Amino acid sequence: MEEELRVRLNDHQVSKIFPVKPKSTAKSVSKSETTDSRYWSSFKPNSNIPKLVSSVAALAFSPVHPHSLAVAHSTTVSLFSSHTLSVSRRFSFKDVVSSVCFRSDGALLAASDLSGVVQVFDVKERMALRSLRSHKAPARFVKYPFQDKLHLVSGGDDGVVKYWDVAGATVISDLLGHKDYVRCGDCSPVNDSMFVTGSYDHTVKVWDARVDTSKCIAEINHGGPVEDVVYLPSGGMIATAGLNSVKVWDLIGGGRMVCSMESHNKTVTSLCVGRMGLDEAAENRLVSVSLDGYMKVFDYGRAKMTYSMRFPAPLMSVALSPDSSLRVIGGSNGMLFAGKKKKLPDAEKKATSFWSVNSQVEESRRRALRPTYFRYFQRGQSEKPSKEDYLVKEMKGVKLARHDKLLKKFRHKEALVSVLEEKKPANVVAVMEELVARRKMMKCVSNMEEGELGLLLSFLQRYCTVQRYSVLLMALTKKVLEMRAEDINGKEEFKGVLRNLKREVNQEIMIQQSLVEIQGVIAPLMRIAGRI
Amino acid sequence: MIRGGRSYVTSAPSFSNDAKKLLVCTGNTVSVFSAATGLQITSLEGHTAQVTTLIVVPASSAAQKILCYCWTASLDGTIRHWDFSGPELLQTINAQVPIYSMVIPSLLSEPQQTDKRYDSSKLVAYVSVEDTSLVREGSTELRGHIRRFNLAKERLPRGDTLKETEEPKSIVISPSGEFFGIRHKCKIHVWDVPSGGSVSKKMTLHHTKVINAFAFHPTERIIAAGDVTGRVLIWRGFGNRKLALGSQKKNARAMVDLDNPGVRDEDDAESCTTWHWHSAEVNVLNFSSDGAYLYSGGREGVLVVWQLDTGKKKFLPRIGSPLLYFIWSPEPTLSSVVCADNQIHLLKMPSMEILRTISGIKPPPSLPKMYEGLSSTVAFDRSSGIAALCTENYCVQLYNLLNDRGISEVQVCERNHQPGDEITVVVTAVALSLDGSVMSTTEVKLPEDGIGGLVSLKFWESEPDSKTFTLSTIVYEPHKDAGISAIAFHPTRSMAVSTSFGGDFKIWVSNSDKSQTDKDSSWICHAVGSYKKKPMTAAAFSGDGTVLAVAAENVITLWNPDKNILLSVLGATLTPITKLCFAGKSEFLVAASHFPKPELSVWNTSKLSSSWSYGLRIEAITSALDSSTFAVLALVPKIFRKSKSKKNVFRGRDGAILLFNGSDPKPVSIWTVMKAEGGSISFLEGDKSQLRLAYVNGSHEYVVFDPNSDETHERSAADYEGLVGEEETGDFGYTSMYGELPDYDKKRKEDAESLVTPFVSSERPWETIFSGSTLNFPPLQKLCGEFFESLMEKSNSVVE
Repeated sequence: MEEELRVRLNDHQVSKIFPVKPKSTAKSVSKSETTDSRYWSSFKPNSNIPKLVSSVAALAFSPVHPHSLAVAHSTTVSLFSSHTLSVSRRFSFKDVVSSVCFRSDGALLAASDLSGVVQVFDVKERMALRSLRSHKAPARFVKYPFQDKLHLVSGGDDGVVKYWDVAGATVISDLLGHKDYVRCGDCSPVNDSMFVTGSYDHTVKVWDARVDTSKCIAEINHGGPVEDVVYLPSGGMIATAGLNSVKVWDLIGGGRMVCSMESHNKTVTSLCVGRMGLDEAAENRLVSVSLDGYMKVFDYGRAKMTYSMRFPAPLMSVALSPDSSLRVIGGSNGMLFAGKKKKLPDAEKKATSFWSVNSQVEESRRRALRPTYFRYFQRGQSEKPSKEDYLVKEMKGVKLARHDKLLKKFRHKEALVSVLEEKKPANVVAVMEELVARRKMMKCVSNMEEGELGLLLSFLQRYCTVQRYSVLLMALTKKVLEMRAEDINGKEEFKGVLRNLKREVNQEIMIQQSLVEIQGVIAPLMRIAGRI
Repeated sequence: MIRGGRSYVTSAPSFSNDAKKLLVCTGNTVSVFSAATGLQITSLEGHTAQVTTLIVVPASSAAQKILCYCWTASLDGTIRHWDFSGPELLQTINAQVPIYSMVIPSLLSEPQQTDKRYDSSKLVAYVSVEDTSLVREGSTELRGHIRRFNLAKERLPRGDTLKETEEPKSIVISPSGEFFGIRHKCKIHVWDVPSGGSVSKKMTLHHTKVINAFAFHPTERIIAAGDVTGRVLIWRGFGNRKLALGSQKKNARAMVDLDNPGVRDEDDAESCTTWHWHSAEVNVLNFSSDGAYLYSGGREGVLVVWQLDTGKKKFLPRIGSPLLYFIWSPEPTLSSVVCADNQIHLLKMPSMEILRTISGIKPPPSLPKMYEGLSSTVAFDRSSGIAALCTENYCVQLYNLLNDRGISEVQVCERNHQPGDEITVVVTAVALSLDGSVMSTTEVKLPEDGIGGLVSLKFWESEPDSKTFTLSTIVYEPHKDAGISAIAFHPTRSMAVSTSFGGDFKIWVSNSDKSQTDKDSSWICHAVGSYKKKPMTAAAFSGDGTVLAVAAENVITLWNPDKNILLSVLGATLTPITKLCFAGKSEFLVAASHFPKPELSVWNTSKLSSSWSYGLRIEAITSALDSSTFAVLALVPKIFRKSKSKKNVFRGRDGAILLFNGSDPKPVSIWTVMKAEGGSISFLEGDKSQLRLAYVNGSHEYVVFDPNSDETHERSAADYEGLVGEEETGDFGYTSMYGELPDYDKKRKEDAESLVTPFVSSERPWETIFSGSTLNFPPLQKLCGEFFESLMEKSNSVVE
């Protein structure tokens, strides 16, 4: 009766029950879960890819289904199936492969190596169709124009950008202008003859193959050696990576910088553009990887970083599959970090619905319950309310933990012991504060038996120097040691705890001292700065 | 003028016969509340002193349930008969002596002939009066008399006295109307009500402890009594010998020889049993209407229901305040419990659920010694006239001063208050922003043996429509372990400052301006400042919010709140400043300090110099927003108040509200008030752009008035009637408490000027001023400057 009465009274303002609550901690101002973080963290890491021999220089996805993945590492290009992430083919080179690219129909694959040769392979037949030799220094990038199947763009350490006729294996034009190594380039997604190249001379040049002056039509200065450049899907904007920064430029607007994002700590090595999902409304994001081991996702529309992820190695290259189901990042130690999205079980759903009529009939036959069944008495308990049902809400009682119940019965010491056993320091401190408010803390300490005292001491030893609790716990530690000195002294079981406690306190004092020293150093500086 | 904050708990309330109304004694009036809504319906006005007893004439049949008659008795010596449905005064009987308690047995015992009752000569009342003819200082006469009055007669005889006691006692009557009695120290005296014209017989029951409350069983001869130690004694079969009726006499005689267990001495009772559950004194005892249960309650704020036959208990715990009365209504499902914190709870009966609460203004919390005078437990929302008051149970009560009604309560700390326990958590301050949308509270957890002390600062925000606050931010230990001395809000922006005794102040800003969503809004520290590590004791923003004044013990520092730059320092006062206030939008800054030497000083912030100062102890300062008017609540020094010549001026009032205008050291008006200690004042600027001054005194009674009006008090009361609405009815309950000095209008001020001049020129004005006829006194208003100056030497202005 008493319990029932109390439960009923809970929602009235006069007599509430307040469970002991730990002090609230600071909340982060930003929301913990954004659509971006949910999307990018939904790539489930796949750990059964064998470690490759050396640094993964380049990655490329085939533009046609099933989007197989070409990985350039050392002197080989391995072709991975995007489904199983296993190697299906290998192409060998004489030198280290620097760049790899699929043709728009996915039938051919072009790769450049450090000997300066650009080779074109047939993906299915695994044979080299053409070897394009013209670069006098290591070739650094090779790219097929967006839809064009006949030409190639390549660049190398000789500073020359070459526009190839693949069928004839001839250079159509040598585009001169870069004063240093050409490291990267990309072809426009809207125009087959437009492409950009980035070089270590800090510039990114925009070329048009139709203009035969072999002079660039636009030039932008990144302000550092350009490591990677990509066209954004609109075709009017490009993103460049160099040093620690990623910059977005508006080409149509005359090479104006739209935004600059400097959130990496080391050189950004690779960029790629990814779509968040497949629906119409999905937004594009710029993904960058860097030698500092971070993958960062930029929302270049809002000019802010929306997601960041740490990998255990310097990262060299990144690629996202065109169907946004696979994210692959290559590390400098040969690790391939692949993340795969779970497929929606669309197909399976249909299959079950086809058979469901049958199974329902079976179900209803099975459910002819009789009072002799046990389940007869449980029937309808898990029934969900339908829409038109009027819901009578059960009054919610306050949820009381074990220590709350004990506190309610004024069994103070038992409450303290029970919360100490729970090992949640915030709760323990909250119970202690409640006991202090009831003026029963000292009584509890003096009534504790040996085992309980040990529990308390080990708790104090662990948490008394934690900043959040230290005001209460340090004072309590002192009091406990004073009050129970004769019980603690000379007991074997407490020796270890006491030794640790002493060490903790000494360490804390040392930290405090060094902090004071630092403050002493900083204070005059701050004062001088304030005066200026 | 609006008066309010009356106590609902001075005497027991009473239900009407249909249980739809609850009659409550509120000072000089009886207020009638609706039991269904908890709102006031009407009030019975007429008594000129506190109403002490309220008896609703019970209905004997269902048809009579609509009858709404009641009797009231008051300290003004009259007994009145009302029809409270009207409300209409039917009859007034003047008893000429203050009545403390009254019972009318015939109303209860003769229900069959109710109609004839009033014209018959049988309407006999037993009253407890104070014989004022015997009141003399230090007299040992027995002043409290129990007398028998016949209310039916036009002119009252003196009445025959049944018993004389030192103090007037309250009379308790049995529900059947057969017996009544009083408690007197460790004894209970019981009389029976004679049926004929015979004299009533008396018997006495003894106990070893002082009896606090007792009750009669409705049908049987059972008395329950509660004593100061918390025991409940049940005497069964009392008065079988001494108060026996004719038919029972034989039985009684047979029982004389029996052993009467538990009964003390030669007391006339069959048995006496003791129940002990209460840990402190029992204040409330009442039998249920069928006599099966006994309700008891006391200081611990738990209503206990005892099953009379078995002694089994049921509880309504955590009421949070000492219980004062428990009454049941004619409706079996409704009863009411009255608490000391001015709350009347209506209970749904068998389950003892609290249905509704009629909430009066809550009394101020009792603070530990160290926080007295430092805390600011009342804050005002100037636009809506809502006061936020700290209460005992760790709540802030929001009370609408304009229509005298509690709005809501905000639980500041999540704790249950247990009356009588040692105070370990204190809500020390509450502050409201100017628009009333943000509230800030500070609370202190007092340490046990030096461990576990905690100061926390909380910011609460309210939605524009709802009248309650939700917690926005908690700051633990905002100034390390130092206590917070003051909180002040920026007049226009969401910015607040908290000052601490630890020597720093912090400026807090809400980040809700930046973030779009309201849910994320929180208060963060914007800047920290300190001045020579001195304790910061008070803070105030200037009217336009560009200057922040912080008192660093006895100097005033002026800061730019945005950039946190010290602008200038105003010269030192003699004593630590406790309160600061800018006088409206003007450059004048008012500072008050009271220990060890009280002082009120006004500073000119543009000249950085002191304008003038008085040696007055100031309880509160407030200033109008637009004009440079400010008002202070000053405590009048005791020596001055007690001196004979001024006694008639102050008439027991201990404080004065002084209204100043800008730099003028002469107050514009003065009002003297009672219970000024712990009081608070504030200007209220409502939608009508009408300036009103609200004064809440030390026991949370309040008055709202127009400081500039020359109207007499009745006129202005009528004015506000419409504003206040139906529930508000002019409260004259406190005329005895807040009298006003005669009003001085400005025209008269000029006339008086010539009168005053000769007095001012005299060197010691006070020796001459009060000699001679009182008619020749100049208005106090003109005298005030000289009057206060004569009390103290004027402190020299400090010029830097």
